[in-house]
Amino acid sequence: MTALFEMKSLTKNYWQTETQMECTYLFSDLTATIDSSERIALLGKSGQGKSTLLRMLALLDNADSGEIRFNGVQAKDMDTRVWRMKITYVAQQAVMLPGTIEENLKTVSKLHNETFNDKHAQKLMKDVGLESIDWAKKAADLSGGEKQRIALVRSLLLAPSILLLDEVTASLDQQSKAYVENLLIKWSEVEKTAFIWVTHDLEQAKKVSERIWYMENGTLAVDCKTESFFEHQHSFSDSVIL
Amino acid sequence: MSLLALTFTLLFVVITMLLSVWQKLDLEKDIAIGTVRAAIQLLAVGYVLQFVFQSKNLLFIVLIICIMIVVAAHNAAKRAKGMSGVVWRIILSIATMEILMMGLLLSLQIIEATPQYIIPLSGMTIGNAMVACGLFLTQLKRETESSKGEIETLLALGATSRQAVQDVLKRSVKFCMIPTIDAMKTVGLVQLPGMMTGMIIAGADPVEAVRYQILIIFVFTSSSAITSMMLSVLCYKNLFTKDLQLKKWSE
Repeated sequence: MTALFEMKSLTKNYWQTETQMECTYLFSDLTATIDSSERIALLGKSGQGKSTLLRMLALLDNADSGEIRFNGVQAKDMDTRVWRMKITYVAQQAVMLPGTIEENLKTVSKLHNETFNDKHAQKLMKDVGLESIDWAKKAADLSGGEKQRIALVRSLLLAPSILLLDEVTASLDQQSKAYVENLLIKWSEVEKTAFIWVTHDLEQAKKVSERIWYMENGTLAVDCKTESFFEHQHSFSDSVIL
Repeated sequence: MSLLALTFTLLFVVITMLLSVWQKLDLEKDIAIGTVRAAIQLLAVGYVLQFVFQSKNLLFIVLIICIMIVVAAHNAAKRAKGMSGVVWRIILSIATMEILMMGLLLSLQIIEATPQYIIPLSGMTIGNAMVACGLFLTQLKRETESSKGEIETLLALGATSRQAVQDVLKRSVKFCMIPTIDAMKTVGLVQLPGMMTGMIIAGADPVEAVRYQILIIFVFTSSSAITSMMLSVLCYKNLFTKDLQLKKWSE
């Protein structure tokens, strides 16, 4: 059976910034698959290339070698826009587009000439704890946490097959964080959406994921079930300090 | 103006140079080069125009306008270092504007179809369009860099390149229109424009001079809008790679 998503021997190089003479790899030979509605937490210390990997999977950045496939189709053989609608990236720093909350929420329907599903959007806003917010409010005036939750709802309205979540709860308080975690777990179960969630929070990884990818020294050092990771955490690395 | 009177105008240059020496501005060399270049360029243009006006050959008029457009495009393209193929895009934008403007002015018989009208008016509108292109490209670069997050957010939501930079283009076009619109609002109150002043000094009826100045201001506004909008249409795809990723705008 074809995996929902597959990455094979993915490598990203970078040039040493000081000399621009020496090329070294950020990560190399990353190989893994994702099945439908699988929830993955991507762990690793800062600088391992987790965000770069997510951007590459969303085709916002290019790999130097290797290939990625969605439903067996290579990224280069698929329309980039269709790919991004199926595999959607949510950035660490939520960016609100100019205009009101409503205009931000309607972005996806406007971009793709679709009818805006008001009830669906209201339901999602309730799920992230923003049911009482005034949609006429300027998006730029919102707090960081509100912006992040609206950015997430905006991406969910696209109904992607895979969500790429780059530390999306880093700027949220405990309550908002719990709202988002619960929403995404429920969303994954109901809509059969997979996600790769970059986090430095081990408790969060334990709560939201079924599988752990752990990046270390430019490789995907660990790819295992979440329970197994936390049972054998000590043996994977000197210390999984994130 | 006699040649002697013209020579006396060098006094202003001398005053500027003395001020530069006194204030240690170190601008004497640049002032000297600028003075010589301005004199040679303008005298040469004067003789060329005299020849063209006398010959009344359409080919010469077209040739002069083409040279103006190419020089303007090369100059404006300096504002977009790192963007490939921008010169021909500016040429196309300014040329389209020039054809539209001159087409309207001549077909509606607003001006006479003689080199005396066509060349100076073309020079002024092309010069204005060059400034608009330079401002547009400078602002486009700034906006693209400062709105990277906004553009990538839209791309991540499946936007086309056009959709992803639509607001950035709109803001850049608006920015390069501001000087022309501001000039339109304050003309006559804050500044007496060069063409009008020149005509009055040359002995023309002030009301007639004002009429031509009104024509120029309206043409300027339209030329800024047409050129910058056309350039935005021609340039936006250049901001992206073939994989629909935002390019790094290298110097």
